[in-house]
Amino acid sequence: MTTQTKIPETSIGQSTAGQGKWGMVIDQDMCTGCQACVAACVMENNISFVGEDDLAYGRGMHWIRIERFWQGDFPKVSSSFQPMLCQQCGHAPCEPVCPVYASVQSAAEEINLQVYNRCVGTRYCANNCPYQVRTFNWRDYTRPEPLNNQLNPDVTVRRMGVMEKCTFCIQRINAVEDKAASENRQIKDGEMVPACAQACPAYAITFGRIDDPNSKVSQKARDGRGFMALEELGTLPRVTYLKGGSSHGSNG
Amino acid sequence: MAAMAKAMQPAHAGELEDPRENLLYDPRPRSEMNDMVMDAMQTAGWKFWVVTIVLALFVLIGLFGVWGYLILNGMGVAGVTRPIYWGAFLVDVVFWIGISHAGAFVSALLRVFKTGFHHAITRVAEFMAVFGIIQAGLSVFFHMGRVWLFYWMIPIPNERGIWPDFHSPLMWDFMAITTYMIVSTLYLILPLIPDLAMARDRSTGWRKKLYRILALGFRGTEGDWKHLRAAIKIFSFAMIPVMVSVTTVVSWDFALATRAGWSSTVFGPFFVIGAFHSGVAALVVILVLIRSTMKNMKYFIRPETLDALGKLMLIISMVWAYFYFNDYMVPWYGGDSLERLVLKFHETGPFAWMFYSMLIFNAVIPWALLWNKKIRRMPWVMFTIGLLIVVGMWFERFLIVPGTLTISTDPFTWRVYQISWVEISLTLGTLAFFALLYLIVSRFLPFISPWEVQEGQASHTIRKVGKATLPSASEID
Amino acid sequence: MSDATTLLALFQDVDPAADAIEKLREMGLSNDQMNVVSGIPFQEEILGRPIVRTHVPRIALGGAIAGFAIAVFLIWGVPLLYPLYVGGQPMFPIPPLLVLGFELIMLGMLTSAFLGVFIDSRFPSYEPALYAPEVSDGKIALFFDCPADKQVKFKEAMKSLGAESVRMVEAQEL
Repeated sequence: MTTQTKIPETSIGQSTAGQGKWGMVIDQDMCTGCQACVAACVMENNISFVGEDDLAYGRGMHWIRIERFWQGDFPKVSSSFQPMLCQQCGHAPCEPVCPVYASVQSAAEEINLQVYNRCVGTRYCANNCPYQVRTFNWRDYTRPEPLNNQLNPDVTVRRMGVMEKCTFCIQRINAVEDKAASENRQIKDGEMVPACAQACPAYAITFGRIDDPNSKVSQKARDGRGFMALEELGTLPRVTYLKGGSSHGSNG
Repeated sequence: MAAMAKAMQPAHAGELEDPRENLLYDPRPRSEMNDMVMDAMQTAGWKFWVVTIVLALFVLIGLFGVWGYLILNGMGVAGVTRPIYWGAFLVDVVFWIGISHAGAFVSALLRVFKTGFHHAITRVAEFMAVFGIIQAGLSVFFHMGRVWLFYWMIPIPNERGIWPDFHSPLMWDFMAITTYMIVSTLYLILPLIPDLAMARDRSTGWRKKLYRILALGFRGTEGDWKHLRAAIKIFSFAMIPVMVSVTTVVSWDFALATRAGWSSTVFGPFFVIGAFHSGVAALVVILVLIRSTMKNMKYFIRPETLDALGKLMLIISMVWAYFYFNDYMVPWYGGDSLERLVLKFHETGPFAWMFYSMLIFNAVIPWALLWNKKIRRMPWVMFTIGLLIVVGMWFERFLIVPGTLTISTDPFTWRVYQISWVEISLTLGTLAFFALLYLIVSRFLPFISPWEVQEGQASHTIRKVGKATLPSASEID
Repeated sequence: MSDATTLLALFQDVDPAADAIEKLREMGLSNDQMNVVSGIPFQEEILGRPIVRTHVPRIALGGAIAGFAIAVFLIWGVPLLYPLYVGGQPMFPIPPLLVLGFELIMLGMLTSAFLGVFIDSRFPSYEPALYAPEVSDGKIALFFDCPADKQVKFKEAMKSLGAESVRMVEAQEL
């Protein structure tokens, strides 16, 4: 279904939670924790494999991860899990602290850019992210044959010393916008799908234009089960989580 | 004058000390002081050269060699990871900035307040400022992921089509540290010029050529002195706010971040006083070492200098404890669960031994010992106390940087920092480099400023007041 | 001027030197014809000399203003040239201006004060100049022009006031 949406003026600096251009809704009640989104993201964005030792030390480079928490003592143990990715904050704490303008706000797409070429690796942005979703290239990681054939030509490969994070698949956003512009039309709702949403077998991830109140993602974000991660910090995230029951993780 | 002082017998033993114990009341002719200083520069035993060569080798391999290894292999060889993105290198940065700032501060503050004991120690303190900030700069470079691109942070016209971002505390840091590096070097050079002129007059051969160039043609005319002293006065007054501001800007690297345990409004003054604490202690350590290893220094660096510095150490230690308690009390009482967790992690986690050592070294030992005048005048006891404080302050910075970063807002990412051999080697390397710079410079720059000592001695006399002979100082400035 | 020579009288202490300067004035020399070179600084009042004017504080002030101007350019000029939004912060923030302004005021002021010493004292100068190496041993050197025929009179006057030595000097390499 085509939606004709007027793109609003950029409101950076005055945005409130939920405003912005692109947004995501993750339905935790549908999410099975299967990690298909993690695998898809790795494949789409040329994310490096760090090896067992580095991963055990916390150096995994997954841009989206399924966080699992254990509650209670045996035998009354329960677990809960939550997919965590870059929230593309409106007031991103990671942005002002970069000394070289490597993490800036995109005025056009209203998401947070990470400019790999510019990063000098001071890692202040990663320290400042309350969601800890930024990953750093601790070494030059290699892809042994034939894994290098899997690389996505639309995305660069990052060298050591560079910070990276989820980009809402900006390469796909650009491709979809180019196609729409060449066909002289607006982007259809549901046309732009990031890798994680595309791979999810439970349709738990919805993505789209949150400045269009009729888009699927805007309708889902208005669900009564909706909450935002660490909303009290005032970061103005663009990702809404849906979860029945208590809104802060525990599922009783 | 000397006979009078000697003949003076106090009514109660120990009531009035012999003022000639004080350097300024025990003057020697300037020519003799010049001889002593020149002699100290030109005499060195075989032990000196052995230590210098060992340190130079360690600096070459353990510092620059290992740094090359770090650059080639990436940050992965260090112990940093998510969520502790900053580790021992940042601890070293804050540590060296602390030590460096106390050097300039002690020199400036004592000059401004015209205290009686600064004349012999200003040069050593100013060296500490310059050498310390070099180590801090090196440590900043160590922690950068792509350090070969550091010049992107320099705000000069370039062909990249973009300038650095001054919203970032790291850029304020960059400008502040550069400011401090430049002004502390200039502050070292200014009072050094007349001493270089003295060395020029007393040297031959290559030394004379070197000093002739460095002395810039200084003669000691009224104009020379007037301009020099006007500048030194401006520097002395300005160094104090510079020191406070640069330490505060460094503290803002942490305080402006949104991490539990870091986002504290007291970090500014807390880091300033921490800098004094470690710096004055380091100064005492260095002074005792110079006094006992370098020729003729026992005349200049006396127990009464250590006594005065010891009193300063005691006061600073109390102020440090006050600020530390402020920083502790607020989260402890405040109820924010993450902040409380950070405190609990410090007290009961794997780094708890550092926490308790820090409190003992920084507060308990100084408070137990430094109130006692006899102890303050014992060089090797002061050396030990100073060394323990320096170590305690390194522990404090360790707890602040990797210790606090363990507890991030996302419990899934909590992880304890494991220091790596690369970070240990580079930390020790900066210590070795610091010592090596002192050793090298001792061969051609005077560690004492004879013109300042003579100036001080000229304004201090012992005169008869009633039945007693008392020391008195006049302001000839 | 052709028969005026420069004499050097060396003194150990301040009091004889101050007396000698007064004596020279009595004997007809003006302040310009006398030069005092010493191993430690003496306030002009101590020796009875005219106050030396120094430009260093004014140069330092100029440097401070220049430093602040650079800070304004960095904080407000750079975002004007490269407008990039970061973290919802205003494009032209004030608190960073205060921070950087202070640092660069200090840097400008102190580097200018340092350079002011060079400018005012005309450093580095390696030309031959009136100097006595004894000065760096703490002595006070009093250089004065005196007509060639009155040399003996001046020498005796200086010696009687306590000069260690009085001799004829020329500008020498330092």
